[in-house]
Amino acid sequence: MDLSLSADQTAILDALDALARPYASAPLHDAGFALTSAALDRALQEGGFLDVGLDEDLGIGTAALIVERLTRLPQATPLTSAIIAPLLGVETTAPICLIETDKVHRPVRFLAECARVVVVGDTVTSFIATATQIRAEPEALFAYPVGTLLARADTREQHDIAPETLRTHWRIALATEAAGLLAAALESVCAHTSERQQFGRPLASFQSMRHRLAECQVRTNTLYWLAMKAAHTLDPADAALAALHAQESTRVCVYDFHQFMGAMGMSLEHPLHLWTYRLKYLFGELGGRGANALAVALSLWG
Amino acid sequence: MDFRWTQEEAAFRARISDFLAESLPADWERFAQHGPASPALTKYAEEFCGRLAEQDLLTPHWPVELGGLGLDPWHQTILAEEMWIAGEPRGGQYMNINWIGPTLIRYGTEAQKSRYLPPIAEGRALWCQGFSEPGSGSDLASLRTRAVLEGDTYRVSGQKIWTSYAGLADTCFLLCRTSEDRKRGISILLVPMDSAGITVRQIPSLIGQGDIHEVFFDDVAVPVSARLGDEGQAWEIIGFSLTNERLGIPRYALARAALDRAVAVLQAQGEWAGEAVKIEAGHAAALCEAARVASYAIVSARARGETVGAQASSARYATVMAERRVCEFITEYLPEALADAHSYLKMHHQRGIVAGIAAGAAEIQLNIIASDVLHLPREPR
Repeated sequence: MDLSLSADQTAILDALDALARPYASAPLHDAGFALTSAALDRALQEGGFLDVGLDEDLGIGTAALIVERLTRLPQATPLTSAIIAPLLGVETTAPICLIETDKVHRPVRFLAECARVVVVGDTVTSFIATATQIRAEPEALFAYPVGTLLARADTREQHDIAPETLRTHWRIALATEAAGLLAAALESVCAHTSERQQFGRPLASFQSMRHRLAECQVRTNTLYWLAMKAAHTLDPADAALAALHAQESTRVCVYDFHQFMGAMGMSLEHPLHLWTYRLKYLFGELGGRGANALAVALSLWG
Repeated sequence: MDFRWTQEEAAFRARISDFLAESLPADWERFAQHGPASPALTKYAEEFCGRLAEQDLLTPHWPVELGGLGLDPWHQTILAEEMWIAGEPRGGQYMNINWIGPTLIRYGTEAQKSRYLPPIAEGRALWCQGFSEPGSGSDLASLRTRAVLEGDTYRVSGQKIWTSYAGLADTCFLLCRTSEDRKRGISILLVPMDSAGITVRQIPSLIGQGDIHEVFFDDVAVPVSARLGDEGQAWEIIGFSLTNERLGIPRYALARAALDRAVAVLQAQGEWAGEAVKIEAGHAAALCEAARVASYAIVSARARGETVGAQASSARYATVMAERRVCEFITEYLPEALADAHSYLKMHHQRGIVAGIAAGAAEIQLNIIASDVLHLPREPR
């Protein structure tokens, strides 16, 4: 076992960091909830970063490293595609939107005209969305651009993929994105509370805050490693464990993050919500904690 | 990143597992309810560790010239996991192997290595650590046990408490004050427990008979040659020691094994059908595996020769979370385990209470994470 990055992974992440650097801080006054960047999306496409999972030597493990890193940016990007596209055998030129057959009424992130909608039930099918099949939800609170699916296409592409295999990749994507979001949120809260002075000293010097932030670090760190393990092994149990840990850690950390920021935690002028309200979207995916805990139990003990 | 065990690592684990299956007595799980420091388990551990040593499985991660095989930290981890899953038949000797030995290898004089390492490597030694005092627990640097140098002999007076294994240990790894400087005034002495002036009193404990003690030092004479490192170097040395200690006990492995066992019992009893029990078990498993993989990240860094710092505290705290959740799961869904219906689960539960207390309380780990991982401003003193 060796958990260090390979030379290829190090080189790819270095290149990615160079590409992402200009986007690390973004003006937020008019951004609202769903900050996106067409320029970032284009640069990622041109660099082929979201398609590394199609390379057998790099695989989903390296794709997950990229996704985790990009999720830390303020801009939302359709990163799930990088984990799911290799399974479908398609490229990531259009966002991939995942939807469960029994939850088609739910808002779906990046659902827009030309997106590939993947429907997961007893089978795995997909279609390219048209304008009449979707409704944008510009007032949504999820910090992603989301839409509602109004109708499924009559003719859909049938994928020769077991639904549980698709769900395993979905859980890996969920956990990987949550790991990056938690890390970015934690870093921003630590920075603010280390500078903000109350009662004559930095807020983060109070033990009540230090301990809870440290617990959030433990959760963020462990989630990173669980997600990376699942992405490298593609094992259904590993994926379910990572997804459950992502959602439970979201429950533990998100409201604390806003609480520690005080009134700044209510402001759209600070980027915290861009990470935490995306975590809220992921919190309900794949049935939430209960369903993912049941998936853990099923995969470990039957 | 490669999360797979190599063939050689898998074979090493299988070898240990086979050895345990062949060596442990049929009634081992009931026997293991004796605390790890109990007279019964200490006596058994001496036989067991001797056999481990004969198989080169007691100190395989030690350097070849000091009785080991020079194997990397992954092998140390595999060995520790299998031993803890089995209920730690090495008893208190696990401590020698995890951190006393490595600390002596790094900081000991040649005479100290010659005297102390062979008995450890042969499974004949039992140490205790004289750290905590009545007024100095988590605030270890406030310790007051004093060593005054007279000629070439220290005269040691003071009291230690919560000292594991002290009742049967042959040597104490003693922290004592040699000057008034809070941290640089602390030194380490290696003190034979049969020295005149040492009195040991056992304290009844939740873990089992013989686990914790008070140790009184009344003008105990200790030659200066028994000092480990320089005078005042203790804080640096125990920093090294505790990093090994915090990673040396893979409680997540025992917690996960206990969880698996509990689920198997529930399935056999027809109590595994509902969703609530499965959801709780899923949460407990997630915390066990979270702690495992965070610990592996530390082991991987050590295997690459990197210095492991405060991230070890993060992995350690994750293990505390896992241990508690598994204890809660078993208490809630299989309470008869605590009433002796399942020896293995009772053994796990007895030992689980230690996870957040020993080797630096969980709150101390959180302080370390806050200061040295998150770089948050420290509390004013």
